[in-house]
Parts: sequence; structure tokens; C-alpha cells
Amino acid sequence: MERLDFTLNGKAVAVTGAARLTLLDVLRDRLELNGAKYGCGLGQCGACTVLVDGAPARSCVMRAARVQGRAVTTLEGLAAPDSGTLHPVQQGFIDGQGAQCGYCLNGMVMTAVALLARNPDPTEAEIRQALRDNLCRCGTHLEIVASVRHAARRMAEAADV
Amino acid sequence: MSEPLPGLLSIFDDRPEGRISFLQIDETGRVTARNGHVDLGTGIETALAQIVAEELDLPLSDVRIVLGDTASTPNQGPTIASETIQVAAHPLRLAAAQARQALAGLAARQFNAPAAEITTEGGAVHWRDASIHYGPLIAGTQLTMRLDLEVPVKDPADYRIVGRPMGRVDLPAKLTGAFTYIHDLRLDGMLHGHVLRPPYAGRDSGDFVGRSLIGVDRASVQGMPGLVDIVVEGDFVGVVAETPQQAQAIAEALRVDWRMPPPLPPMEPLAQTIKDQPSTPRLLDSTGDFPRGLAECHSTLARTYLWPFHEHGSIGPSCGVADWQDGAPVVWSGTQNPHMLQGDLALLVGLAPEQLEVRRLQAAGCYGRNCADDVCGDALLLSRAVRRPVRVQLTRAQEHLWEPKGAAQLMEVQGGIGLSGDLHAYGFDSWYPSNRGPNLALLLTGRISPEPHHAMMGDRTIVPPYRVPHKRITCHDLAPIVRAAWMRGVSALPNTFAHESFIDELAHEAGEDPVAFRLRHLDDPRQADLVRRTADEAGWQSGRGPRLRRQGRMAYGQGFAYATYVHGAFPGTAAASAAWVCDVAVDTETGEVTLTRVFVGQDQGLVINPDGVRAQIHGNVIQTASRTLTEEVTFDAIAPVAKSWASYPIQSFAQVPEIRTMLVERPGDPALGVGESAAVPAAAAIANAIFDATGIRLREAPFTPEKLRAALAANVAAALPAPPRPVRKRRWRGIAALGGALTAGALALPLHSAIPLSRAPSPSQFTSETLARGAEVFGAANCAGCHTAQSGAPSAGGRPMETPFGTVYSTNLTPDPQTGLGQWSYAAFERAMRHGISRDGKNLYPAFPYTNFARIDDGDMQALYAYLQTLPPVRAETPRAAMLTPVNLRPVNAVWNAMFHDPAPLTPDPAQSEAWNRGRYLVKAAGHCSACHTPRNALGAEDASRAFAGAMVGTDWAPPLAGPEAGARGWDQPAFAAYLRDGHAPGIASASGKMAEIVASLGAVPDADIQAMATYLASQVTDAPPLPRIEAEVPPGPTSRLFEAACASCHLPGLSGAETAAQVPLTMSSAIRAPQPDAVIGVIRDGIEAPLSLPLRDMPAFGAELDQARIAELANYLRARFAPDLEAWR
Repeated sequence: MERLDFTLNGKAVAVTGAARLTLLDVLRDRLELNGAKYGCGLGQCGACTVLVDGAPARSCVMRAARVQGRAVTTLEGLAAPDSGTLHPVQQGFIDGQGAQCGYCLNGMVMTAVALLARNPDPTEAEIRQALRDNLCRCGTHLEIVASVRHAARRMAEAADV
Repeated sequence: MSEPLPGLLSIFDDRPEGRISFLQIDETGRVTARNGHVDLGTGIETALAQIVAEELDLPLSDVRIVLGDTASTPNQGPTIASETIQVAAHPLRLAAAQARQALAGLAARQFNAPAAEITTEGGAVHWRDASIHYGPLIAGTQLTMRLDLEVPVKDPADYRIVGRPMGRVDLPAKLTGAFTYIHDLRLDGMLHGHVLRPPYAGRDSGDFVGRSLIGVDRASVQGMPGLVDIVVEGDFVGVVAETPQQAQAIAEALRVDWRMPPPLPPMEPLAQTIKDQPSTPRLLDSTGDFPRGLAECHSTLARTYLWPFHEHGSIGPSCGVADWQDGAPVVWSGTQNPHMLQGDLALLVGLAPEQLEVRRLQAAGCYGRNCADDVCGDALLLSRAVRRPVRVQLTRAQEHLWEPKGAAQLMEVQGGIGLSGDLHAYGFDSWYPSNRGPNLALLLTGRISPEPHHAMMGDRTIVPPYRVPHKRITCHDLAPIVRAAWMRGVSALPNTFAHESFIDELAHEAGEDPVAFRLRHLDDPRQADLVRRTADEAGWQSGRGPRLRRQGRMAYGQGFAYATYVHGAFPGTAAASAAWVCDVAVDTETGEVTLTRVFVGQDQGLVINPDGVRAQIHGNVIQTASRTLTEEVTFDAIAPVAKSWASYPIQSFAQVPEIRTMLVERPGDPALGVGESAAVPAAAAIANAIFDATGIRLREAPFTPEKLRAALAANVAAALPAPPRPVRKRRWRGIAALGGALTAGALALPLHSAIPLSRAPSPSQFTSETLARGAEVFGAANCAGCHTAQSGAPSAGGRPMETPFGTVYSTNLTPDPQTGLGQWSYAAFERAMRHGISRDGKNLYPAFPYTNFARIDDGDMQALYAYLQTLPPVRAETPRAAMLTPVNLRPVNAVWNAMFHDPAPLTPDPAQSEAWNRGRYLVKAAGHCSACHTPRNALGAEDASRAFAGAMVGTDWAPPLAGPEAGARGWDQPAFAAYLRDGHAPGIASASGKMAEIVASLGAVPDADIQAMATYLASQVTDAPPLPRIEAEVPPGPTSRLFEAACASCHLPGLSGAETAAQVPLTMSSAIRAPQPDAVIGVIRDGIEAPLSLPLRDMPAFGAELDQARIAELANYLRARFAPDLEAWR
């Protein structure tokens, strides 16, 4: 049986029998991670977003085989592995209370991590643009934008220290 | 340190469903409080914890709230009508107050002090300098008390926790992936179910419901991996398997025959359809004498308003888990109504409700009745059958198709202004085709009868708040047309759309400012105060509309609307009142309405959590603006159309307005529900603002650009031009000529002789160098690509090749002696490769590119032959070709060969470099690039005069590789080399479909040869100005919305660089620039599954999602937007 090897949240993992599975299926059903969510299966809503080598990826439309030998980061992998200290983006979402039901939260957070890695001080318009393809039905958009701004501020403060 | 003694303080009540403990404090001082409502994602858990913590004077972190479990929480009805805080929280608050009183009593005894002097703070009791925490106070004590409805509660003036912003208690776990939503529950031994729904999606009445299944062919999935069981009962069909993917694969493969349901009534025009249904009028308010009053008016209006069907649209499709447990089942659910679900499920499996437990976990946000309950019926039926826990996750399409829709609604209003200038008569009729959405499993199994029935819910906020002497308010109750139930704002939202639009229309008639006109008719001072303060704070610009403010093509307007959300059975209970002032910008060319700013004033009495209230206002504004401006469920003859966000787009960050809130402070008044109130005035406020901006009154939601564009065009009496498009000429005009040309000579032609069978040499006779060289030729020619059938053995043939002349099938290249090349001598092989003549003497169709292969040099040819003999032999007969006459006579091909085939080898060009000559050889011989990229003449032969000019191959487009067109795309040597190596030339093209297979096959070819091919190909490119890469502005409409919802996330992503996004912009798409739409249509329908050996990307298939007509519209839209320099297709 073919074997898929990749790095998940900093640790090496191996999965067999995943040839036909999406990355989302492997993460949720084989590795029992809950961060990435199934929302549409068509890459439309963004609830399944993870990072592959730091770039955002919609894991519901990505075959797991594509991450062979690569590094995948999920919501579970953002906090510091030893101390459990939250990632500044996670902390920013607490500051900004950026969730109602929270089902879309994974996608918002992971996309925000990718955005801030590239653009540490985005304007409100840039935040809205970056998150444009992530759907939220509860209407939490303003809190989410505010949360990303909190996150950017926290990252800037951490960098100054 | 020793463990504290166990202890418990418990406040209970005896209720019809049994003894319920509302609140418990244990020896650790922690509180468990129970409420029968659930958290639908609004943060109600936090607000309830605040209420308990406040009355008990303890930190929020010491309170655990249990919501909605049927075994332990009271039955407080469904979590609807925003009544959790207003109604359901009441006993909890009393229980907390009572517990505090009891704790003070315990402390009084302990301290030997008067109870009145005991104070509580920070989870401890205090008297003078002494204090003791609740835990130690309770340790060793068992105190059980019945809930006292008369217990005094805290004076709101003393509140320290209620009324303060509080962070959501569930947020940290949700941010780390540690939170367990219903979707995340995993039980030991859990199996996975996948349901197959009948073809009558989204319908729940009619005698076909539960009776449409003809048969299930279990044999069709026999032996599929993971299959545990197939469960059939009535129209319920479900598959149970070991994994979710197996269950889905089996369900998709399972052959199920259904009777087709009768069509829906025509859903357009919707108003007429609603009115044509049987309904029962309910007269709700007949103050005065409406007919007489109307007759007395000096100015009257009669207006009709229409609200469409909506999707609730939870972001996560519903999920449920059931464990049968030998007839004492437990069901884990994201339900809105645990106790109602308990009753439904008990009925489904013939148990008493108390024999079945529903445990509630949070789900994706729920704004009314989605499929959360349905999926639990599915899981329970499956778990009962297999006697193990079963989880069922609905697909996005199942959720979209089957969820009870937010009901459409029709409102007719008649009214007028009396001689005094006051509102004098008001008649209102409302039709709301909806009920409570009976559980689907009950309907599908026939447990309940699918007779149409209604719920009397069309009467929310049906009476306008204004003083009118003559009223006639009627609610027409009617059963759903399609499955429909409550959704945020229920009927109050459409009713208010009508009331508050009509009031605006009357104000306009009266020549008065709309806010002033309202205030003149509002008697309730608290309501009038809200209206006045909202208008003041929002900067309402009073005037007698419409003001028609214009700046260029943009028109600007402001609108006002206000309502009190009234819920529950008529006359109902008032929740919070909300008033909107909103600003819109209307693009008068495109018809797009941008909601730029919304100011909401809200009076909700006591505020529990200001952050929570503001979040609810934001959510209501954003969601309802989307419903008002864009959303609408459409139907085909049988069922709803939308299966995903593609056909039902919802709000995104781009459309979110600036929102300001004003919470009216009334700490002395009871807390009122805030979950829906701010949604209720939305549609009217926006309609009023559009009127102010344009003078156009929209009375049918949604207010789409195309609707407004049509109205604007009608207003100026000049329709937008829709230029006629030229009709494209038919292709393949040459077929008839071919027939004529070839049949004449056909019979005179000699057939070729057969070459006798001879055992092929054994692989061991070949050197490893020869075999390696053969593998390169095999890769360069992508032999396996054409000679492998879908899911067939590699190189064993059988792949259909569609040609304009019919279908031929590729042959078996493996050395199988009977069906493959195992008994082909080299001579036979070489003749086939160079002359297109099979071993048995028959001509091969030129779909086999022997015209190219003839140029392969002897060494390569021999190596290829050798390599083929080392393939694993596979027995596979080649299917017979199915050709159109006259080409099904293979001998006529011989004529063709005589006309078009030149088997002479290439002569090196000394003027060119070695690389160029090598590249030309690879491209023209084994590579056979021209077979696809060079257009063919009427007889199907490559047109040498247009070499590499691009051609349609079946439904695919092989784009130009030479000349100015290739130059315009930016092709040069490095680009070709990158493309041939990785399938991706940055900014120019990425391979898909057959070309991606070819590039994967080229992996066998060394870098030097790839560079050489690129060198030759680049030499054929002519410099040309680059492609314009411009996007056209296409008038917005359903297809632009489809693109934004379904395609943009990968093709125009807001954040570039995504690992799953398209690698090349659509302005560079060769398929969009092809002469025919077939290639684009094919990609949209079938998606892309790119070879894993290349750094390419996949694309999901939309064939199950969008019908042919929608895909064709989308293709045309892509052409118009991304290739505006080219003419439209057909």
C-alpha cells in the first residue's frame, strides 16, 4: 500500500491508503484533527484552509498525495508546541472576539496567518481583500477584520521586543 | 492536601418532563447551570453564564452552562424567536439567586451571624473580616431545594458582570481546534453513513413523498470496500461503511431507481403561485371600519411586496451521530430544538421520548431550521440497523437542496391619508407558505403523512406600530410549497419590508419627511424615543424624498425603517425594537447597490453583554443585507437549483458596510431578545434608500443589479442595447467532400499484405542502453497516454479517440501474444509506425500519428520496439471502431496516405544549431506535437501551411505554438522548456487534461532534449505585441455572481499565492481564447486532475453542480470578461 509522508505541525507523519483522499479527509478522518472544517468540498467557503509550506491551501480540493514531503500547518499547529502560548493571530481573534459560531474561524485564522506573514501591517481594505474568499454566514466580518488588526499589532509588538 | 468532602447544593423543579436540576454547586465551588435552549453560535452560553455569575457573585470561569441535553435540561421549547435571554433564562436567574440566598444561610450558621449581614463576592461569603469560599461551605453538605419563583433577585443597579462586555467562553478552544463541534465527535466503534435522497429535493408534501422508491440494486455495490449495510425504509436509503469516503463512494455507485415526482407549480411569477395556493384567512386586527376609512381618504395607495425563498446557509452542512444502544439510543445533535427532536426521533423508531436521549453539541451557526434534525433521523435509522454508533455528515448539496427554506412571503397593502393629513386606513394581507419543517426521516419512511399543513407563523409583527383609526390586518395561513420554515426574522422581516416601505410611500404622498411622518403616528413614547434618537444620532437628513443626489453615474440615498420584532403566537411578545438609518450608493449604469453605512439604534431593555448585543446587530445587518440585495432560491421544474454557494452566493467581506450601533440604556427594564431584531427593518430601509437615490421603488426582493438596471432603463425609457451576435459557421463542412473523393477510388486500391505472426524477442536480448533509450522515446511520444483506457491497465489500449469521422480505439501495446504486440515482429511494428499499416495488412486510422512517427530514426524505433516488449503483458481486446461512412471502409485510408503521408526522414538543417535540429526531430517525430497543434484540412490531414497554428481536438483546444499568436502569449525558449518540464510556464500557461499527461510522460526525457524541443519550438514563434490581458466590465447578473462565488476563490483569489489557486490568470487561458467554447465547458464540467508527478493543481468538477445551460452561460461570461478582444462564441 502506497505511503504518504509529510510534516504535520512540525512532526513527521505517515499515512497509508490515502491515494484517493483529499488532504481534508486525511487530516480529519485519518489523523483526527478538528481544526480544518468541511464546508463545501468545492473550495468556495475556505473553512478547510491549511498552510502548505506556508501558503494557504483549500484542503478540500487538494489531493493528499500533493503534500508528499511537504510541511502542512493546521490550526492545531499555530500555538507554541511546548508552552501552548497562542499564536498572535489566535490571540488577536480573542482580542477582537472574531467569531460567532466559529465554524469559519479556522479559515479566517489560517488565511490571516498567511496574509500577515507577507504583509505585517495590512490596511483594512487589504484585510478585507485577503479574506474575500472566506465565507461567514453569521456576519462576523467586522469583528474578524478587527481581530486581524489586533493580530498585526501583536506581531509588531513582539517584533519590537 | 486532602480532597474536600463531597457536597452539593442543587436547585430543582418538577416539570412535565421530570425533575430538572437547574443549578448545582459542588464542593469545588463550581456551578453547573442547565438551560433547555441551545447556543446557535450567538454566544448565548456566555450571556447565560453572566446571568448566573452575577446573581451568585462568582467569577464567570466557575460557571459551566449545559444547554439542550434532553436528559438533564428543561424542555423550554425550540431556541427560536430570540427568547433565550428574555424567557428561558428566567428560571436560571431565579435559581442562581436562590442558591446565593442558601449560601448566605449556610454562612450565617457557620459564622453565627445574622443572615442579612452576610455578603457575597468573588465566589465567597463574607462577614466582617471572615470569609469562606462556596466550595468549602458546601463540602459535606447535601442541600436540595425546589425552585422558588418568588425569590428576590439582584437590583440591576448593583450589577457587576451583567452589562459588561465579556469575551466568549467557547472562543479559546475554537481557536486552537480543541473545541468539539457535532462534526468533530468520534465514538469508539463508530461507523459512517451516507444517505441517498429521492429526486423530489426540498419538498415535503404530496402523495409521492415516501412512496417514490422503485428499487435498490444491492448487487451493484457488492464487494465494495468498507460496506457494512444498506438500509432501506420507504424512501429512506442509506449506506453504512467503515469510513465516510467509503460510504459516499458506495452511495454514489449504488443503483437506485426512483419514480419521478410531479413538477412544482410554476415558481415564476412567485406572487401568483403563492396566492394560488389554498389558504385560510385569519383576521387579526379590525379596528374601526377599514372600507369606510379607506373611502374617506383623500389619497390612497395599493401596493404588493414580495419576499423570495432563502437558504439558511449554515457554513457547515449538518451532521449527527446516533448510538442505538440496545433500544436506549443516544443521539448527538446540533439541533435547534432538542426536546422537539427527541419526540420526533422517538416516533421514528417507536420508542417513548424518555427512552431516547438527545445530547446537544454546537454546530455551524443556525439561523432557523436547517437539516440539523433531519440528519439525526438518518443516523438513528442507520445505527438501529447496524447496532453500532453511526455518524452521518450531509454533503453541501444535500444541505442546500433539502434544508427547509426560509419561506417566501407575499404582502398586499392598501391604505391612505385622511383629510387631516393623518394615516387614516391601513389594510394588510400577508401570505407565508411555511410550517415547522417536519423531520425528513419521518416523511421518507412514511411514519407521518405527507399532507400539506401550515403553522400559524405568518403573523409576526403583522400589525404596524402606527396609530391608524381603521385597520384590517389579515394573515393568510398556508402550507409550504417547498419545504420551508422559520428563518431569522421569520415573517416579521417581510411584513416589516411591506409596512416600512408603504409608510415611506405614504410619507412621500403626504409630502413629508419619512421620519417625521412616522413620529407623528407613534403613540408609544419609548418607541418614539428610539426613532427620534436613532435619526438624530445617525445624522438623518430630513427631507421630502426622493432627493436623487447624483455624482457622475453614482446616485446616493438614505433610508429609514424601524420595527419591533414580535414573536410567539399572536398577539405575541415583543423582543427588542430596532431602527435603521442606512446609506446606499447606486451605480446607475450597472444597477449595483452598495450599502455603504448602516446605523442601528436598538432598545433591548437591560443589556446582558454589550459585546454580544453588538455582535448580534452586526450579524443581523450583514446577513440581512445579503438576503435583501442578492439572495434568492430559484427552482427548476422539480426542485431547488442551488447545490452550493455557486448558485446561491452569500455575503462576503467586499460587501460589508460600515456599521454603527446605538444601544439605548434601560438597565431597569427587563432584557429583551436581540437575536433577530436588527434584521427586521433591513429590507425596507434599503428599499427606502434606493428610492431616495433613484426615485425607483423596489417592492420585490432581492434588489439585484439586473432588476434595478431594468427599472432604471424603464425610467429613462431607453433600454440598454443588447447587440445581436453573429452566428458562427458550422465546422467540418468538408466531410461530404471527403466521402465523395474517397469512395470513388476505394475499390480499386490494393490491400496490404499481412505480416505473419512471429514470437517477439525476449527482453533479455536487449541491452540496458537500448531499453533506456526506448523508455525515453516511449515517454516523448506519450504512448501510454493514448494507449491507456480510463481505469484500464497501462498501455493496454481501449481509449476512445473521438475524431470528426467517428470513434476509434487505441490498441494494446503490451506484449500479450493474442491481443497485444507479443507476436509482432520488428518489421510489422516498424511498418505500422511508419506507414500506418497494421500487422494484418489493414490501414490504421490517422488518429494514430504515423505521419509523425515515420520520422523516428532507426535507432529510436528499434529501442522503442525493445522497450515495448518489456512491458507487463495484459490481455485486452481492442474495441471495434465506430466510424461514420465512408471512412469506416479502412481501405479508403490508403488513398489518404497517398495524398498526405510523406514517410521520408527529416534532413538536418546545417544552418541551425545541433539543439535546434535535435528539437525539431523530437517535436516532429516521436513528440508528434503537430498531431494536435496543427489544424487539419477537410480530409483530416495536417495542414502544413498552418503548422502549429492551433486546433480543436475533439472538445479540447490545442493552442497555437507558432507564429504571432504564440509570440503574443510570451512563448520563448525558457517558457517552453519550463512548460515541457513542469507543465507550467509562469504567467503564460499551465498544462491540464491531455497536455498534462503528456508533460508527465516527458518526465522520461532528459533535460537536454527538453531544452532542444524548446529551442526548436521557440524558433517557430514570431514576435508580436503581448496579449492585452485586459478584463472587461461585464454587467453584473446571476453569472457574474456565480463566478464570484464558485470560481473567484481560485481564479481571482483575494490573497494570491494560494497552494490551491490557479497558476495562470484567466486572461491568459488558452481555452477561453479558443475558437469554440467546448474546451472551457469541458474543464468546468469535468474539472482537472493533474498528474501528481508535476507541480500542477487540480480543479473540482462542476458537472454535478451546474446544468449544461449554466455551464454554457459561465463559459460565455468568461469569454466576455477575460477575452474581451475576441468576438463572443456563436
